[in-house]
Amino acid sequence: MSQVEEKTTTTGTTDAPDSTRRSFLRTLFGTAGLAAVAATPAGRMLEDKTDISVYTIGRQTGAVPEIDTDADVITRMNGDLARALQKQPAERRWVMVIDLRKCVGCHACTIACVAENKLPPGVVYRPVLEEEWGTYPNVGRRFVPRPCMQCDNPPCVPVCPVGATFTNEEGIVEMNYERCIGCRYCITACPYSARTADFGFTYNDGLPIADGLIIGQTTADDYERISNFEYGRGYDRPEGERSSPIGNARKCHFCQHRIKEGVLPACVTTCIGRATYFGDANDSFALVTGLITSPNVMRLKEELGTEPRVYYLA
Amino acid sequence: MADTTIDARPKKRRIQFTWRNTDIFWVIGVVLLLIGSIGLYQRMTQGLAPTALGSYVPWGLWVGFYDYLVWLEVGSLLVFTTLVYLVSFKRLAQLKPLVLFTGFTVLLMALLIVLLDLGQATRFWHVIIYPTFSSMITWMVWLHILYMFILVAELALVLGIVKMNEARAAKILKLLAYLSLPIGLGLIIVSGSVFGVVAARPLWNTSSLPLMFLVSSLAAGSGLILLLAVLFWPDKKSTDYVEVVTRLSRITAWFLLAGIFSASVIGFTTLYGGNPSRTAAMQLILTGPFWWSFWIVHVLLGVFIPILLLFFRGHQPKWAGIAAFLSVVTFVAVTLNVVIPVLATPELEGLATAFVHAKLNFDYVPNLMEWQTILFVFGLGGVIYGLGLRWLPILEKKN
Ligand code: SF4
Ligand code: SF4
Repeated sequence: MSQVEEKTTTTGTTDAPDSTRRSFLRTLFGTAGLAAVAATPAGRMLEDKTDISVYTIGRQTGAVPEIDTDADVITRMNGDLARALQKQPAERRWVMVIDLRKCVGCHACTIACVAENKLPPGVVYRPVLEEEWGTYPNVGRRFVPRPCMQCDNPPCVPVCPVGATFTNEEGIVEMNYERCIGCRYCITACPYSARTADFGFTYNDGLPIADGLIIGQTTADDYERISNFEYGRGYDRPEGERSSPIGNARKCHFCQHRIKEGVLPACVTTCIGRATYFGDANDSFALVTGLITSPNVMRLKEELGTEPRVYYLA
Repeated sequence: MADTTIDARPKKRRIQFTWRNTDIFWVIGVVLLLIGSIGLYQRMTQGLAPTALGSYVPWGLWVGFYDYLVWLEVGSLLVFTTLVYLVSFKRLAQLKPLVLFTGFTVLLMALLIVLLDLGQATRFWHVIIYPTFSSMITWMVWLHILYMFILVAELALVLGIVKMNEARAAKILKLLAYLSLPIGLGLIIVSGSVFGVVAARPLWNTSSLPLMFLVSSLAAGSGLILLLAVLFWPDKKSTDYVEVVTRLSRITAWFLLAGIFSASVIGFTTLYGGNPSRTAAMQLILTGPFWWSFWIVHVLLGVFIPILLLFFRGHQPKWAGIAAFLSVVTFVAVTLNVVIPVLATPELEGLATAFVHAKLNFDYVPNLMEWQTILFVFGLGGVIYGLGLRWLPILEKKN
């Protein structure tokens, strides 16, 4: 196994100067011809699609790892992700699979999500619900992580009066914070309570100012206020201002900013039970495709016809 | 208050209510403004954070009051226009400036409340320039604005702010009145549909809800006209007055009965159906911690007593006025019971404890700041109303 491949199978992304698509094309067409071909629509398609053994994701390039069904699931999903990103966005079908038998209810995914998206107090994208049933001593208990279902038929979208929430070309339901007026209609319309409103709190609210006594207070406050990078944009929270996303509805977006860079969503990589899977269900070789075609799969509130993209294994 | 309105100088054409009496509106208005300004200040400086609203109960007192005011504003004009123009109840026509101005004031209050309820209120104009017509809120805002224009145009003509010859003005007024019927009807149906189309909330998601909105709006609206007639009728010794009051009492009582019928249909089918996601919210309304707001405030004070008074004492202006007052004021309990209990019923088990924060709970009780903001809005409405009655030719006779 080459050094490049080795690095790829463990991280999923790597620098591989020798195997870039550009070098492949260069070999194919020669340097002079490359510029001409790349400038045409066909050339762009070639750039995007021709060679699926190497990839360019965000700022990184690397070799797409071979499908290894014995590999650790994270390793395998990294490969799935790299493969999916070679396709046109509309050809991908991102899905998430959560194995309820493996979830131990540690809430690590919730916290990872809070950290990744720098969610303020009161905003949560992926709580883990605890369900109990039966009467003692015949009782059962399970943990149900609940991200946004990224419904194919999302009730939250048509109710928005200003088109501030919409399904993007990859099928992920996004927010346009600058457009949103904060009417919260989408929050009432989501059957999964997957949307929360940002009321503008910070974790340092109400802490007494005690310079030198509360160590790290300023840094913590600064950290809270600098940008998160949802949707690939920086949204900071300067003190005294109420700019977006404050006053807006917020929701899970499958960590699009990470996916674009070839990195799995934060909840997936953090899950200590290896209970959360992510990938392109349009790829027959992807791990998730195998999982969602198993008979023990279910989706929440299926009867509403929302067609969630989050599947549960029970 | 009604008795003091009897004009001591009946020969005079103007002023049935002395200045001092109408001044009560803006005086109370100023007091409410002062009390309410604390809430408004918090709203302006801290957004929605100081409210008791959260992400699980994202709409509460303000949305409830918004719908209540829409019921009053549209219902009163629908009933009035139908009676005067379609049923030719001509004697009522002299209340037109007053009914229009009352509707206009209530409309301003409704729009202000809903504006304050927006998380990013300064972007309200997005609904105009980026409208999504699949959203009931878009329709509601557009119809409301259209309705406002019609009302303003009618008022401008009725009050003589726009001068034109009388015959032409009457023609345009008639046209505007007819136009206000479908727009008003649409506005009420759409404001009911804002809730009715939400499949995620089973108790809202019924086709009878918009109809229930319509019936309730007509009941509240006719009650408001009756109240206005009792308070401001020019010549309270005339037989016209008694006839108008008696007729309006009957109409209000029948609308209240229709309201009972439509609410009962929803209630019985829900409880009989036994679908837990529907019955849970219904149980919360009927037997939850705020059961009294439904049974005592709405059913007893707002419907039962007024119906009895209107049917049996409806020809006596004093009792009719009390019944109308009770009914109009307590109707807010209905909209609050439509909005809040449904949202306070968790959509998924375990949500309440999965991630803990004050804004992630289902136990919504409107707090002082929210009430203060409501007082501010009512204060502003009171000031506008009082000053309007004082300076505009509203209480003149218009035959
Ligand atoms: S889960 Fe809720 S927020 Fe997510 S797409 Fe579906 S309806 Fe919209
Ligand atoms: S809160 Fe924002 S995204 Fe949600 S419906 Fe209102 S405007 Fe649209």
